[in-house]
Amino acid sequence: MHNSFSPLERFVRGLFLAFMLVWSVGPIFFIVLSSFKRQVDIFVYPPKLIFVPTIDNYLKLATQWNGFFHAMGNSLIVAIGATVLAGIVSFLGGYAYSRYRSRLTSWTAVYMIAVRVLPPIVVTLPLFPVVDRLGLSDTHILLILLYATFWVSLNTMIMKNFFDQIPYELDEAAYVDGATEWQLVTRILIRLTLQGMAAGSIFVFVYAWNEYLFAMIFTTNNAKTAPLILSELMGAIDGTVWGVLFAGVTLQLVPVVLLVTLARRYLIAGLTAGSVKG
Amino acid sequence: MAEVRLSNIRKLYGKIEIIPSLDLDIDDGEFVVLVGPSGCGKSTLLRMIAGLEPINSGDLMIAGARVNDLSPKERNIAMVFQNYALYPHMTVRENMAFSLRLAKADKATIDGHIGRASEILGLAPLLERLPRQLSGGQRQRVAMGRAIVRDPSVFLFDEPLSNLDAKLRVQMRTEIRSLHDRLKVTTIYVTHDQIEAMTMADKIVVLREGCVEQAGRPMDLYSRPANLFVATFLGSPEMNLLPATRDAAEFDLGEDGKLSGGADFGETGPRDITVGVRPHDIMLKPADQAKLKATVAVVERTGAETVVTCTLPSGRHVCAAMPGQVAVNAGEQVGLGFNPLQLHYFDTGSGKALAA
Repeated sequence: MHNSFSPLERFVRGLFLAFMLVWSVGPIFFIVLSSFKRQVDIFVYPPKLIFVPTIDNYLKLATQWNGFFHAMGNSLIVAIGATVLAGIVSFLGGYAYSRYRSRLTSWTAVYMIAVRVLPPIVVTLPLFPVVDRLGLSDTHILLILLYATFWVSLNTMIMKNFFDQIPYELDEAAYVDGATEWQLVTRILIRLTLQGMAAGSIFVFVYAWNEYLFAMIFTTNNAKTAPLILSELMGAIDGTVWGVLFAGVTLQLVPVVLLVTLARRYLIAGLTAGSVKG
Repeated sequence: MAEVRLSNIRKLYGKIEIIPSLDLDIDDGEFVVLVGPSGCGKSTLLRMIAGLEPINSGDLMIAGARVNDLSPKERNIAMVFQNYALYPHMTVRENMAFSLRLAKADKATIDGHIGRASEILGLAPLLERLPRQLSGGQRQRVAMGRAIVRDPSVFLFDEPLSNLDAKLRVQMRTEIRSLHDRLKVTTIYVTHDQIEAMTMADKIVVLREGCVEQAGRPMDLYSRPANLFVATFLGSPEMNLLPATRDAAEFDLGEDGKLSGGADFGETGPRDITVGVRPHDIMLKPADQAKLKATVAVVERTGAETVVTCTLPSGRHVCAAMPGQVAVNAGEQVGLGFNPLQLHYFDTGSGKALAA
């Protein structure tokens, strides 16, 4: 593409870009910056862009709200667990939907999508007594199951798209070469669907890391995740300690930003699966 | 190496009969080409031999053993696919080694086999490349290399050249045939291209709707086609067909005139006969020297050959092909001459060839 815009066009485009940047990055920038300010400096007007940074907020978070780090650990366990579980199930599901076509598979595919469209809370709340009876409330396993289940339907379809792009002749070539179905899947197909797995994993991880509602309903203490602590920070009895809250939010942001930046390529591939021929 | 015998082979997709009942014998070391229009069941048949499609009934024997219920890997066959089906994440070497690795061959054996195959196919400089870094012809060669390293008793090719451009196709045709002459492994090759079939095969099997129309050596099929289908399927340009009514030893073509053939079918033979003549067996003559007269419609010159399409008085087209460059132009009146001994005769009703 060559650049043939007039100066006015370029100015308007720049303006739009600036607006979008302020719109999307502005709040994050404000939070991250504020987490390094003293409480009194946070809401002064006009905002101070030049100030002496302090890590007081982080120290306070560590000393007065040390439950936050425990909760972050919980978030990590739950996010990784859900990602792995959803990854395995949707990989195998996608394989089955792509390679074993029958009336049964097409009906269940419709069902999976339909369930995904319902408000999650409607599907989940009736589970409460069951979960209680099974002794699963306030456990990591429960959140892992919930989050993974929530994403398996969509990720299975993403994986099916990836499998569909691999010509069936490749399977046949492997069979003729002497491979069993297990060897076909583990030595060939898994390598060719890595992009899809990566994209799907990011969705699950980010979702599980950020999720608030289910965690609030189903955990009380042991499996409490980081977003719950952040909300408690906001509603603290002695008023919101903004600096500490912003420090927590900043820490909460780090893994997501890192993950999405590192895996940007896979993410886009996953979102556009099936639209372009590999 | 092995002979392949198919007896009474039947294939259904649901209730649709793809192959009603098929018998075919392929000798050890033979190069057999299955040819026919799309949908004739040739690829299905090949995939049944490979073990990729179940056989509904009948016996498939490879090297004397019934293999109907064996998986592809237990049949000791190798297959080259139309789109090559190379493993995209593996190098050429890994692609070729894959089957040997699965069979748990040791490194020295693997290296030995790959060395031999890459020498035969000229793949040595490409061994460390990925498939996407290869041209179409090279990928084709790797697919063959992958087949060779396994020392199979039967090679199966499923339209392996149809993704290549015309020039490369001719070159690979020769390569595959010389590979066969060198390895002498029984080969079954599927194509819809009759030129490939004619040039490569020891034996051609012409299929239509799951049935063998005719099987035999290429030149036998060309010069003595068993029916109208084989007659028009093989040969390019295709054979001219002139429906006629037999009148003693003459063939009445209606308003186009009469042909005196070299055949006599006696009193009992059919009256409605289709006379077939190959374009290369027609000579153009001055109009007043021939019984059949026509107007030249189109002249196509390839340099080596001149193909002339003429229109008979009835509006029917006849195609004549002559070597070299023939001085003739569209719109001219010409006469069509034939050697009666090179005419083919078919029963118009059944389409079967009649012995002249």
